Amino acid sequence: MTLRTEGLRKAFGGVVALDGADVEFLPGKVNALIGPNGSGKTTFFNCVTGMIKPDEGRIFFGERDLTGRAPHVVARAGVGRTFQLCRVFPRMTAVENVLAAVRPGGLLRGLRSAHRRSEIERAHNWLTRLGIEHLAEAEARNLSWGQQKLLELAGVLMGEPQTILLDEPAGGVNPALLDRIGTLVRELNSEGRTFVIVEHNMDLVMSISDHIVVFDRGRPIAAGPPERIRTDERVLGAYLGV
Amino acid sequence: MPNASDAASTPAAEQPSGAAPTPAAQPSHAALPSGAAPTPAAAQPSEAAPAPGAASSFRTPSNWLPLGAAALLIVAILVFPSLAPNPYILSTGVIVLNWAVLATAWNFVGGFTGYISLGHGALAGLGGYATGLLVAKADMPSFVALVVAALLVAALAIPIGFAALRVRGASFVIVSIALVLILLLVFQSWSSVTGGSRGLVVPRPFPGMLRPEHHRVFFFLYGGLLLLALLTWWLLDRSRFGMGLKAIREDEDKAESLGTPTFAYKLTVFVISAAFTALAGGLYALWFGDLDPVFQFSVLTGSYIVLMALLGGVRNLFGPLLGALVVGIALEYFKVEFGNSPLHLVTTGLLLGLVVMFMPDGVIPSLTALVQRLRNREASSIREVTAADLAEQRRREQEGVNS
Repeated sequence: MTLRTEGLRKAFGGVVALDGADVEFLPGKVNALIGPNGSGKTTFFNCVTGMIKPDEGRIFFGERDLTGRAPHVVARAGVGRTFQLCRVFPRMTAVENVLAAVRPGGLLRGLRSAHRRSEIERAHNWLTRLGIEHLAEAEARNLSWGQQKLLELAGVLMGEPQTILLDEPAGGVNPALLDRIGTLVRELNSEGRTFVIVEHNMDLVMSISDHIVVFDRGRPIAAGPPERIRTDERVLGAYLGV
Repeated sequence: MPNASDAASTPAAEQPSGAAPTPAAQPSHAALPSGAAPTPAAAQPSEAAPAPGAASSFRTPSNWLPLGAAALLIVAILVFPSLAPNPYILSTGVIVLNWAVLATAWNFVGGFTGYISLGHGALAGLGGYATGLLVAKADMPSFVALVVAALLVAALAIPIGFAALRVRGASFVIVSIALVLILLLVFQSWSSVTGGSRGLVVPRPFPGMLRPEHHRVFFFLYGGLLLLALLTWWLLDRSRFGMGLKAIREDEDKAESLGTPTFAYKLTVFVISAAFTALAGGLYALWFGDLDPVFQFSVLTGSYIVLMALLGGVRNLFGPLLGALVVGIALEYFKVEFGNSPLHLVTTGLLLGLVVMFMPDGVIPSLTALVQRLRNREASSIREVTAADLAEQRRREQEGVNS
């Protein structure tokens, strides 16, 4: 399903964070959203995921209009996200962090045990896949920054979203982990998940993205494959500074 | 028919001697560290080869502890009335159980979602007045009135929660205090219905019953209600719904972004909490027989409840109960020792300060953590993956593919 926005606008007082953004991401691909700090990338994420309501414009996921819907509705529609300053549930164990993403689905189903064997297995599988299975019983607050980032992603994946928005996945992680995150994104993408990644690390962006959207002053100024973006005059001027 | 108002009026005034809390009033089970969040996951065999620097399990499953503690609690409730040396001690037991139900009911909101309500005293007061008015003015049978009143308060909790749960943190605390103050004014001023400052006399459910027997019956009723509240809390704690509530406590926005309808969850648990609180308030009305708005709608009630829950540990099933035993008995003791002076407020204030400073998680989690530390002496590490680890892992994966 295609995630797209039409004329998205959001102002905070006099600061216009989004200024009529028309964006369309390619389904089944790794999309990147890049741009200078303050160009509206995170505000765009927050609008799309329902964390803040846009002043104008519309958000569509496939045919479904998600404009102004609550974040849990957006998540249930199949759009998962991570946060720029990675957010985990600090006083829960790693495995509980992942289990918390299981949808209760109705009042009676909500009273079912949160520790069903099949779901625990699924949670452990995600932790294994992300390489933090050995920390399953550790409280999330005791994990390192990089491990918390992986844990956050494991939680998002547990909800089985079709499209995943990653806000600066490479921020503050060591080179080995960065490599791992890049590989993971490609693997998860090859299984059919769409990614939209906000990232400043150009090496990562250029190596894993199929499609790049460049933001400046709250709207896209260019979109296309990495090789085209790398040489786009407007992008070079606005962002890459060469 | 015994006069309702003299039945169990301030017990301290009834029998000042022998007021010190007896060991019998403090069942030993309460000090047991009950299992924190059950983590059956620990029993799951890991499918992955242990990663370098693998840590041993940080928590051990301790599902039997809550069961053992519950069994001890049931025994304690059954034998306490026989062991109580006099009716005053028995009436203190009723008061302490009343606090235990209130604190456990509060913990549905405070413990699961982390929303600190100082307004639960008002919900208890509403339960008390609703029960009293249904019995006194509508001639409803006492225990039918108790249940109807709890349902009415639960229904009223929907609009209250709808308004109050829109704000978080300190703002929520202030809104909850406002609820108490508004209801105090209403119940004081609306004297044609509530009796105003003159109070409301609630007819007794068992008119011919002698006072010690009356205390004994209500001790068991409160005991049953406490067990029901604990069972409900335990069931929620294990459920997906409970997992969502705990996620709200940890990070509400994050929980919402993972698909938890946070507002609906908060409202539901607030209504459950209000129903149990109203049942406790209603039982109090039937037991005590006399309601005064100043005591029913007091911010102090909510403050004591919070102190009890914090002292015992809000993330724990038995935390509020333990807190109620300590603070409830202490309050009675202070009243006997210091009479009506404000010294009992000073001492409880000091206690609250000490708890927040030195045991912010409460007694039970602190003890549990201590036991865990003593048990898990093996070194553990959270070292991140290195380039060498990664190369080794890839090599193994490659070998797996080739073979």
